[in-house]
Amino acid sequence: MKLIISEMVGLSIGEKHFIQGGIAQDIRSDGRKRLTPRPINVKTGVISQANGSARVRMGATDVIASVKAELGRPTALQPDKGKVFINVDCSPTAAPMFEGRGGEELSAELSVALRHCLLGGKSGSGLSSLLAIVSQWNVFESNCRVKIWVPLFVSGAGIELSSLVVVEGKICWDLYIDGLVVSSDGNLLDALGAAIKAALSNTGIPRVNVAAGASGDEQPEVDVSDEEFLQFDTSKVPVIVTLTKVGKHYIVDATSEEESQMSSAVSISVNRQGHICGLTKRGGAGLDPSIILDMVSVAKTVSEQLINTLDSQIAAAEAGEDES
Amino acid sequence: MEYVSPEGLRLDGRRPMEMRQIRGEIGVVDKADGSAVFEMGNTKVIAAVYGPREVPNRSQQMNDRALVRCEYTMANFSTGDRMRKPKGDRRSTEISLVIRQTMEACIMTHLMPRTQIDIFVQVLQADGGKSRCLIAAVGTRSACINAATLALSDAGIPMRDLVTSCSAGYLNSTPLLDLNYVEDSAGGADVTLGIMPKLDKVTLLQMDAKLPLDIFENVMQLAIEGCKAVATYIRQVLLENTKQLEYRRGTHGQSPAYSAFKVLFSAARRFIAVLMKFDGGYIMETVFDEGSRLKIKHIQSSIPNQRAVFRF
Repeated sequence: MKLIISEMVGLSIGEKHFIQGGIAQDIRSDGRKRLTPRPINVKTGVISQANGSARVRMGATDVIASVKAELGRPTALQPDKGKVFINVDCSPTAAPMFEGRGGEELSAELSVALRHCLLGGKSGSGLSSLLAIVSQWNVFESNCRVKIWVPLFVSGAGIELSSLVVVEGKICWDLYIDGLVVSSDGNLLDALGAAIKAALSNTGIPRVNVAAGASGDEQPEVDVSDEEFLQFDTSKVPVIVTLTKVGKHYIVDATSEEESQMSSAVSISVNRQGHICGLTKRGGAGLDPSIILDMVSVAKTVSEQLINTLDSQIAAAEAGEDES
Repeated sequence: MEYVSPEGLRLDGRRPMEMRQIRGEIGVVDKADGSAVFEMGNTKVIAAVYGPREVPNRSQQMNDRALVRCEYTMANFSTGDRMRKPKGDRRSTEISLVIRQTMEACIMTHLMPRTQIDIFVQVLQADGGKSRCLIAAVGTRSACINAATLALSDAGIPMRDLVTSCSAGYLNSTPLLDLNYVEDSAGGADVTLGIMPKLDKVTLLQMDAKLPLDIFENVMQLAIEGCKAVATYIRQVLLENTKQLEYRRGTHGQSPAYSAFKVLFSAARRFIAVLMKFDGGYIMETVFDEGSRLKIKHIQSSIPNQRAVFRF
């Protein structure tokens, strides 16, 4: 994904030096320090047809996430769990290269990364599989990308899947989480993670009354309330912090110019308790294992600030929405 | 079904000749050369314009005029029921084509030979209640064209006139302006019209269902009035935007006064950026390169401690 973006940015040698030199001296092109994120702006309830939605802007990066709930059937393997689908689209408005099928590779990569960061791996289904290490080796085309997912906690760390069940084995809510990249200026994964968190806290799932008396294989009749809504507890939903390595240092919340100069990036999803819910490394160059551990601890501190700003922004957005 | 009550009110409470609420905003996608969001009632559309720029696909380059391209996409969440989306399906291809042809008619393509202008239209929300609606896309095309016009003007692309679009229909023997989803799916006639209001020329005209000629004239006249109203509004939005720009550049009233200079950064003695404090806010920027002064390229926003972004 970064490779495509770097082609698009088109920097002169002077600009490249300027960006790299700035990062080395701890003052970046927009005046930020290496570990300072851009101001984040959250607006909730932007899509009226969805059960929940949010728009997150970080600098020129602009993403929308929406949550739609539909009644479905739980899978035979997990009759006591609802289903969550995460899908990201890159709108061509963000960059002409996303035209037609151009954005599909990036969309797929972002969707997979978000799925892992927010939903956890498939293997941990319901087990409190502490330290279950799942590794996925994905080789795409010529550039080798390695993804290592380390779900340290129960799978579905972010969203409590069992709360989505209406009638066990028969009816559950399917949550369709759609992300849309409207404008792209780096750090899409973090922005989408934040938008999904905000959208989930904006989501109201209608209360469902099940008619008694359905027996056996019959599908029970349900009555979906359009007045009563249940809210999600989103305090457990992790945020994603991407650390981008440029030269000898790493930075948070890179712009697309900075991303074009990166050697590698590590995205770490951390929840409020400071637990790491997922981790992925991308980019060509190798990383020293000790640096990765270092990055993880930095991500933990950065995520605390991010969660706090995000929570206050979400609260402010919700309050603003109620007034209007 | 009764679409117009005996009191002369429509299902959503409008009068027959009343439009849904419209809202336009410029500059919503920072990375694009021009962008706008346009809302008509529940329909919400973002348009982004890239260009005029080099034609990436040389075989499409035209030596006497610019190549105009358009892509229409609907977000998964834009309709009542979630769409399992077929990307590049026929309907969106058709709407892309309609928008492209309409906009091409007003862009002065001969001024920009060997270039390409891309118009990307993204539907965020389509009016369409709670049903799985394919018709919803039809109702969005007016909003798409209006958004595209705003985005093209934001990008500073020379145009003959602002194209605006509006629909009108005929139900319960009453001509109705700007059909909403319910009225649109009622099966009556639906005229979508795009005009260049100053030149008084029609660039888009589509109608389904049959209509007697004299009634068609009435309905079309109504649609023309609608387009003109949209044009007035779009002009207001543009004017307001220009005022804002003027104000931000400090050319509004008086000339800017630099009150402080600050040398901020010098990497390997190659560049020096100077931060200028200006009317309370910080703006940028002057760049020096080993003695020779480079031009001031652009002015950054008023975020304190902002460093320069250079374009050589």
